Amino acid sequence: MNMIERILRKVVGTREYLNELYLEVRKDDFKEVCVFLSKEKHAFLRLMFASDEREVDGAFRIYSVFSVSGVDRFFIVVTPVREDDPAFSSITPDIPAAHWYEREIQDMFGLTPKGHPDPRRLIFHDSFPVHAHPLRKGWNGTETELRQWGEGTVRNVPHEFMEIEGEGICEIPVGPVHAGIIEPGHFRFSVVGETIFFLEPRLFYTHKGTEKHFESMSFLDGVRLAERVSGTSSFSHSSAYCMAVERMAGMEITEKAMAVRTLLLEIERLYNHIGDIGNMCAGTGLAVGYAKGAVIKENLMQLNERIAGNRYLRGVNCIGGITRDVLSQADDLLHTTDAITRDYKALMKLLLGTVSHVERLENAGRLSRDIAMKLGVTGITARASGINDDMRKAHPHLLFDRLDFEPHTMVRGDVFSRMMVRAAETECSLAMINELLEKSYQGELAVEAADLPAHSSALGYTESPRGSVFYWVKSDKDGKPLRVKLRSPSYCNWPAVPFAVHGNIVPDFPLCNKSFNLSYSGCDM
Amino acid sequence: MGESPSGGATVIKEIFKNITMKKSTIPFPDGVPVSPGESAKIVSLREKVDAVFGRSLRIRQVDAGSCNACEWECTALINPVYDIQRFGIDFVASPRHADALLVTGPVSRQMEFALKKTYLATPEPRLVIACGDCAFDGGIYKGSYAVTNGVAEVIPVDCYIPGCPPAPMRIIQGIREFMKNITGTNK
Repeated sequence: MNMIERILRKVVGTREYLNELYLEVRKDDFKEVCVFLSKEKHAFLRLMFASDEREVDGAFRIYSVFSVSGVDRFFIVVTPVREDDPAFSSITPDIPAAHWYEREIQDMFGLTPKGHPDPRRLIFHDSFPVHAHPLRKGWNGTETELRQWGEGTVRNVPHEFMEIEGEGICEIPVGPVHAGIIEPGHFRFSVVGETIFFLEPRLFYTHKGTEKHFESMSFLDGVRLAERVSGTSSFSHSSAYCMAVERMAGMEITEKAMAVRTLLLEIERLYNHIGDIGNMCAGTGLAVGYAKGAVIKENLMQLNERIAGNRYLRGVNCIGGITRDVLSQADDLLHTTDAITRDYKALMKLLLGTVSHVERLENAGRLSRDIAMKLGVTGITARASGINDDMRKAHPHLLFDRLDFEPHTMVRGDVFSRMMVRAAETECSLAMINELLEKSYQGELAVEAADLPAHSSALGYTESPRGSVFYWVKSDKDGKPLRVKLRSPSYCNWPAVPFAVHGNIVPDFPLCNKSFNLSYSGCDM
Repeated sequence: MGESPSGGATVIKEIFKNITMKKSTIPFPDGVPVSPGESAKIVSLREKVDAVFGRSLRIRQVDAGSCNACEWECTALINPVYDIQRFGIDFVASPRHADALLVTGPVSRQMEFALKKTYLATPEPRLVIACGDCAFDGGIYKGSYAVTNGVAEVIPVDCYIPGCPPAPMRIIQGIREFMKNITGTNK
């Protein structure tokens, strides 16, 4: 009996919906099926999450979503976990990319990944009450519990930082409040002289309970919250969320709505990439490059406000389509992107001609392909380390299959590679914007929102400027949100940062960090 | 979006509301080495006025759980387009160097303690500007178990700048109106 047959016999039920194939397995077989998909089929672990479905059939469920490069299909391995036996065998030893997901499931649902190499808390800090799991239905923290959590003095579950010992090793704690205008996070550097030997980040300071908050809203209102998960990826998040809800309800959006979403996703990518390229100059002290990048970005933000009414493209997406016809302002768009193309080329000429800048970027913050694969990184970070993975190609959605482009990859995985992948994608986005504006598109702005079916679920996804964004939504018996899982690209990429900065000097840390440009809020949820 | 930018009257009303409603100290839990009578006491308006009398304002930005849009708008303030330094306003790297804290976000519970400590690290007299809809009352995150529904729940606030996020011009306008109102000069 070959391996595939053996695995297929483990599957007790299958369900197919659009490009999602749900494989239901028993809890004891869960690990084997996941490892088979990852090791034998070379599938990427896209996301992994749990859901409290006790009101449906009395069990929690764990889902892990895989997809194989080049095949537009998601393999979703599902297993039930009962409350009285909350342990499941951890897949992290075989699939390291699952490490944070399993710790998150442990924090949020109280299901224990048996055999996890690092079973510490992930999301909640020391003062969060023991045995409290916010995503379990019916959990509401008491006032005292929440107050003590905020005060931060009661250490319910002390966090053990990893300690590095040895001659001449010092520890530098940084944060959560940093020197720049950036988001909060705590970093512990173990250094030998100026060289970083080990870095342990402690994140989730901006945890806002977003996933539970989604459950208190209707699916229609959730768009506004999805737009506010991560500031500069507002449009990607709301597009992925809308896509998930629309797929769940079986709604087909019009060609025009698809064109506008595709266009705005590319504009979002454009302003982020140019902004990031400029920001990297702040890490090398090249003030003129930083200023020029900031001016181009500002021009794009003002364009956003003119065409979409908001500098962060908020308020355009709605369930069923879009709220305003951005395509009617094609003249303004073309005129502005022409000017921006000129400025951008001048900026790149300046940056690549400045030896002191390029010299700092090359070989700094290298992330090897092997580690990138194991940790399941996504987006720019993955492509700069030689992983050819782009949701726009791997799982074509909206109008991306009509556009002519190829994902750009580089092999070295250093800061320079990440800058050059951004540069290549910036030019690609400019071309795609022009291509999109050449044609006209049929249909209304939005279709009537259909009734949301009970007990159904669907995935939504897109490629944000930072990497793949996923939403998975499930409705309860009244068509209200039972579970909204969101997975931002930063969540996958944060664990890669300590590997990239190992062996670099502390003053290069801001530069490495800027080259990843990760969102804390998107990661912390 | 929506309502008109902080008119002079509203700002003054906000300040007085704040001062009259304020407790005399911020409560700190036991075990924190803070003498409530000294470092955490609320300072009179007169002293705050003196702090900005030189018409220069040094701001320490603190993200207390925002989505990062407000931070990018603050970053935009120092770009060559807005160039906030021309008004004598600048962002500094440490609360020790600051006259004012500009706080964004609904204040997530895991940032609450850090925000209080940052407030204490800022020398007296200190101003607090709450920037963005989340900082006002929690915004869209209001009611979530992991947020405290606005900066005023944690530290006393002197000025609000509404918007989600407030555009850079809006922030400049908000800060300048605020300074004008408390110094009484039209710089």
